[in-house]
Amino acid sequence: MTRESMLARTLVELADSLVDDFDVVDLLMLLADRCVEVLDVQAAGIMLATPDGQLRVMASSSETMRVLELFETQAQEGPCFDCYHTGQAVVNQDLDAVNGRWPRFAAEALGAGFHSAHALPMRLRGSVIGALNLFRDGVGQMGPADLEVAQAFADVATIAILQHRATREAQILAQQLTGALNSRVILEQAKGMVAERLDLDMERSFATLRSHARNHNLRLIDVAQSVIDGSLATSGLDASPAAKP
Amino acid sequence: MTGGQERRLAILGRLLGQGGGFTTARLCQVCADVTGVTGAGIMLMAGDVPRGSVCTTDTVSAVMEQLQYDLGEGPCVDAYHQDHPVLEPDLAEPDAPRWLAFTGPAVDAGARAVFGFPLQVGAVRLGALNLYNDRPGNLSDDQYIDALVMADVAAQALLLLQAHAPPDTVAVELESNANFQYVVHQASGMVAAQIDITVSQALIRLRAYAFGNGRPLTDVARDVVARRLRFDADSGEDDSGEDDSGEDDQTR
Repeated sequence: MTRESMLARTLVELADSLVDDFDVVDLLMLLADRCVEVLDVQAAGIMLATPDGQLRVMASSSETMRVLELFETQAQEGPCFDCYHTGQAVVNQDLDAVNGRWPRFAAEALGAGFHSAHALPMRLRGSVIGALNLFRDGVGQMGPADLEVAQAFADVATIAILQHRATREAQILAQQLTGALNSRVILEQAKGMVAERLDLDMERSFATLRSHARNHNLRLIDVAQSVIDGSLATSGLDASPAAKP
Repeated sequence: MTGGQERRLAILGRLLGQGGGFTTARLCQVCADVTGVTGAGIMLMAGDVPRGSVCTTDTVSAVMEQLQYDLGEGPCVDAYHQDHPVLEPDLAEPDAPRWLAFTGPAVDAGARAVFGFPLQVGAVRLGALNLYNDRPGNLSDDQYIDALVMADVAAQALLLLQAHAPPDTVAVELESNANFQYVVHQASGMVAAQIDITVSQALIRLRAYAFGNGRPLTDVARDVVARRLRFDADSGEDDSGEDDSGEDDQTR
């Protein structure tokens, strides 16, 4: 397969994965694997920032401890760390000659057999969410074409992650809405039951449920549910002051 | 793609740009205007059943939403369950009869073509957008696409309204023009207590009674809550012709 067709196949594959409910980790793993196949690199990884700004490895083309440790180290120092904090690409770093810039990272990377490292920002407009990290076992520069492809991969991953986050937030909200509708129905049903059994109007029935919840430090919805399913007998409800004759 | 985006922006501009703030009533009207149909309504569903109408543009769409709420069948309900648009271009003379209880009253009210589009956010279904025309005929391709876009816009708009509601509550903005028919659930609770059945069985009893007597479910529920109607006295036969025991539904 030519490089162009591998590239095209990868982009199609990535686009295909961006459907509803895609698994973001699967997508990032695929991306890390394809980086190694398409680009002249021997290992690739994707690091994302947590809400408090700590970098965490999300996907790696290699699961060997030595490679994973390289990512972990970069929570403190290394090309990924610098790239994330500056928002700028950190490329073609000759690890034999970084001269104490990243003492711990450089030693570990050389020990794992890598001689050059690259990090490309995952950035959309103003915000940087992480970095794509590439390692080569040889020294020497990555060509501009390879760097462009790598940045394109980083961009695709960024869009995928942001899209995924937005969808997830909307889904949580949608679940809250349907949950609230169900809760309200349960409350109304419980009001009806209490009204019938204790011969109260709806307002007093509601006051009775609410004061029982308060007196026993329970959520109103849980009290209502217990009334409905019979686990709390209406005779066992505390009468509210308003409900007393 | 640009065409779709421009259309979306134009729609949102109409929703938000007219001053007076965004309301569900305006959302419904824009759904009808953009898709070029006679009227529109938005039904929220949860736990697989209609929970209430958020908005309607006119009495015909209000009647249609009420029928679907009362009967648990119709284009909205099907669109929600089937997860894709449900189109009936000729409600009075359909190719294959469906919605046996819904169709007659909906045609009588003035609906001749009805279309349901699911409201969906990711994997979560919220309800359906209900469109109708006062004459038979299919939606054009453009209308169909516009309706899909509007269903999407409507789902997002509902979430925007719900975004700041406290836990376990429905946002005030959503409830302000909505008809969630809480009286029906109060009545279900009362009937459940009267004849010692579950609340879902009680709702079936209420629905059956309303249908059997040709009355709106809400009216029947109001009678129960006002204690003008009970289900536990033993004179008269069951009006429902449904459900299990069938021995004690009756008015007083």
